[in-house]
Formats: sequence, C-alpha cells, structure tokens
Amino acid sequence: MIKGKVWKFGDNIDTDQIYPGKYLPLTDKKEMARHAMEGVPDAEKFIKNVKSGDIMVVGKNFGCGSSREHAVVTIKGVGIVCVIAESFASIFYRNAINLGLPVIECKDIKLIKEGDDIIVDLTKGEIVNPDKNENYKGLPLSGLELDIIEANGLINYLKKQK
Amino acid sequence: MTVIEKILSKKVGREVTDGERVWVPLDLVTMRDFGGPNAILGYKESFGDAPLFDAKRVAITFDLHIPPRNEKVARNQQICREFAKVTGAKVFDINQGIGQHILWEHGMVQNGNTIIGTDSHMNLLGAFGAFATGVGTTDIVAGMRYGKFWYHVPKTIKIELHGKLRKFVSAKDVILWVLKNLGTDGAIGMAIEFAGETIEPMGVAERITLASMVTELSGEIGFFVKSEPSVQSPVYEKTYEFDVSAISPQIACPHSPDNVKDVKEVAGTLIDQVFIGSCTNGRYEDLERAAKILKGKKVKTRLIIVPASTKVAQEALKKGLYEIFFDAGAVVVNPGCSLCTTGHPGILAPGERMISTSNRNFIGKLGKGGEIWLASPETAAASAIKGEITEPSIL
Repeated sequence: MIKGKVWKFGDNIDTDQIYPGKYLPLTDKKEMARHAMEGVPDAEKFIKNVKSGDIMVVGKNFGCGSSREHAVVTIKGVGIVCVIAESFASIFYRNAINLGLPVIECKDIKLIKEGDDIIVDLTKGEIVNPDKNENYKGLPLSGLELDIIEANGLINYLKKQK
Repeated sequence: MTVIEKILSKKVGREVTDGERVWVPLDLVTMRDFGGPNAILGYKESFGDAPLFDAKRVAITFDLHIPPRNEKVARNQQICREFAKVTGAKVFDINQGIGQHILWEHGMVQNGNTIIGTDSHMNLLGAFGAFATGVGTTDIVAGMRYGKFWYHVPKTIKIELHGKLRKFVSAKDVILWVLKNLGTDGAIGMAIEFAGETIEPMGVAERITLASMVTELSGEIGFFVKSEPSVQSPVYEKTYEFDVSAISPQIACPHSPDNVKDVKEVAGTLIDQVFIGSCTNGRYEDLERAAKILKGKKVKTRLIIVPASTKVAQEALKKGLYEIFFDAGAVVVNPGCSLCTTGHPGILAPGERMISTSNRNFIGKLGKGGEIWLASPETAAASAIKGEITEPSIL
C-alpha cells in the first residue's frame, strides 16, 4: 500500500522534460534529483514543494523519447513513491520497474486532482481517494514486477535469487 | 502461436502467451560506443569483477562516433576496449560498421535467437527471425551477468501486403506507406508479422528496411511469415491488408516519420543534402539501386553515401559502385551509423533541407533548424541529381 499527495502533469511528457539532456553528465544521484521535471513548463511549484512520499499522476505516453534511465533516477531521487499514468512509453515503464519505482496504468486519472491524498494498492491495481470517497481501477502489476520493485530494483532482485 | 510466442516459448521452456511476463534466456547482449560505457560502469558498480554470464555472448559494437570525434567519445571507446580485454567480451572496433548488420554478418544472429542491445533499432534483426529489442542500462548490466531479461510477451498484429511493386518503388516506400496509414502510434507495444505476396520476393536488404521501421510504428519487433492456408492461423490482435501494387514513391516530410506524402505531391522542393545509408537502407542492394540512378550523372546537392558495414563497402568497391558515386560527385564515408547519429559530421545549417534514407526525421536531429525528409535510395539519388525532390521514374 502506498499513500501520498498528488502532483499532476499532462500528456506526452518526454524524458528530456523529465530530465533535460544538459544534465546528462551528472552522476551524483542527489544532484540529479534537483532537476526533476525541470523541462516541463510551469513546474516551478512542483520543483519547490515536492516532498518525499508524494505521488505523480500523469497523462498519456509518459516518459516517451530517449531511453535515458536518468528520468527514473531523478523522479525517484526527489522522493516520488509512485507514478500513475494514463499510459507509459514502454522503455520508461521497464526502466521504472528495473530501478524499483512503482508505476501503475489507470484510465481514470482525470478524476484525480492535484493535492488529493490517495492510496495505491499495487497488487490489485486499485487507487482509493478517501476524501472524495472514490475508487479507480488501474492495471495491477504482475507478480514478477512486484517482486522486482520489492527488491528495490532488478539488480538487487537478481542478486537475491542467486 | 504467433512468431514471438514461438520464439519465447522455446527459450522459456513452456508455452507462453501474450500478456505474460517471463524471464527470457539471452543468446546475445550487445552495447554500442554510446550506451556501452554507462553499462560497463554500472556492471562494475553492481558486480565488481565478477565474470560475464558468457563472454562469447557479450558484444560491443562501435558504430556511432567512428572514428571518435572528440576526447570524450575516445575515452568512452577506451572504457569499452579495456572492459573487453578483462572480461573476454568481443569488441567490433571502429573499422566494422553498424552493430546489428555486423553481428549478423559474423554469424552471431541466428533464427530463433533472443538478443538485447542499447539501440532502439535492434529489432531489425526480426528480418532474420531473431527476437531483438532495445533496452536501458540496467537491463544490459543484469543481462551481462545473468544472461536473461524479463519481458512482457506482446500481442501481434498482422500486416498483409498484396501486389507487385511498381518500378522504382521498394521496401522503404512500402513501410512509409504503412506509417502513413497506421501512424507512429500504430503498433504500440505490439509485434508485427508481415505477410503477403509483396514481401515474398524481398531479400535480406528489403526485409531489414521493413523491420527496422517497426520502431517508428512504436512496435516491438517485425517478423516475416508465409501465409499457408493449410495451417491454422494464430490469433492476431488485428489484421491490416494493403494493396501496394499501385503506390508511387513515398516521402516522410518533416518532422515525423508518419507525415508521409507521395513524392510527386512535394516534387520540386529544393534540397541541399542527401544521405544514403543507415541501418534501414545501408545494404549493398540499397547502394546498387542508388548507383543505377546515379550512373553517368552529376549531383546538384551534397551527396553523402555510407555503407552499413565494411563487408558491404568491399562489395560495392568490387562491383564498381564507388567509381559511379565518385564520378557523380558524392562523398563516401566509412561504414557506420553516420548521419543518423545526432551530432555526427554532416550536420545541416539552419534552414537547410536533407533527404535521408534513414528512419527518423525528428526536429533538430541533425542540426537546429535543418529539415530531414525520409525516402528510398532511388528517390534520394534522383533528388540529388535534380537538386530538388524528384520521382526516380522521371529521370
């Protein structure tokens, strides 16, 4: 179960908006986290106020563009604990699982508003909005994906298997 | 079963169906001179000096910045060479060409193989009946150590292509035509099976052209199948049928691969540069089709020709293509990805227009303010001669 406050973003946010290419040379994860969503217009409020434990709710095709894993590292680094999207670009989706960031696809994201406090059940793919007394159905993660997230990423997961 | 289900079922050791997540044993893990160094640093961080799962099945192909253009990329290639020396991984150095093409030429890609790499056009290996896909750094790091990766078995759509192609119309025109009809989101997350009498006479080069642009349809991979009425057809998510017997040469206008028009609709548009090559249209057969049009003619634009591999270059040299190219006024560059690489020499000045036989025409890909138009080698060659977008048939 994941609980957190919602930050909302629109459709087709590409990896260059999530993590601008000019920061690609950075390798320190704390430093990388400082630039999350910096390429998105009107993201100042998010950049200033995002807190550890918050949740992002985004539109279609989130994370399209390059295959850079920095996009996941920066979102995770800033403290986001789950991304809910109407749909994900497939490489971003893989990278998120591989780096232990929970991601859920849900067609009802328009009903979720910025600032809502929501609860996400990854196993059931269910999102609860207790203040509004609403429930949204998303795509549950597979057992394999849950296991990788639980291990905080692919490498840790595989190391434990051996 | 679909082709992708067959390949994955065999590897996994049981019947798998679309929608399942499975661990897939890998035949080959590959990196390039761009994605490679990050994966190598990640490997060292995660596994120290632990051995690769199988050194013979890890390959590093230098195909982007060859020879290196600055110290940073020279250092990246050095990191790859040093890693290969220690681990036993195979390096294809700056003298070979485009990764997928040289891996196949060296017998490292076989029908039914499973392959991951750091290139978004890995999937062109579907032309050889192999499953290959582009992945991020973490997948490569894990793949090098454990020889497997997890995968979401995709659904499959079938694209049936009917009719014999007209003269001067080839695989590139067909796939641009498909992009015009389906759009760049036409096959999101899907495998594609190409079938029909149009593809039957197609050789390796044309199949590579079709398979490589499955990426631009947002698909996973494309395979080629024979329609056998006696065999029970697998379950497809969707089947498209196109009669391509009447299509004329196609061109993708800036700045999206599905912004496709008939060449004749935009004929006469002035151009500054032409690029013939890339993983999509860099085989010998592609160069030969361009050479037939260029023979005995002079170009009015800059024309840059790049064979996909050294093997292709040697064949082109032996069969007299280089002489035709030089006589026409072309620059012939060493084999590699060349002008398909952002920041590669050959960049456009603001406002300049280039026809490219590659697969992407995104804004800024080859210089801010330059335009890229995608077409076949025939259309590219004819347009270079006229200095404007030209149907190859009118020359």
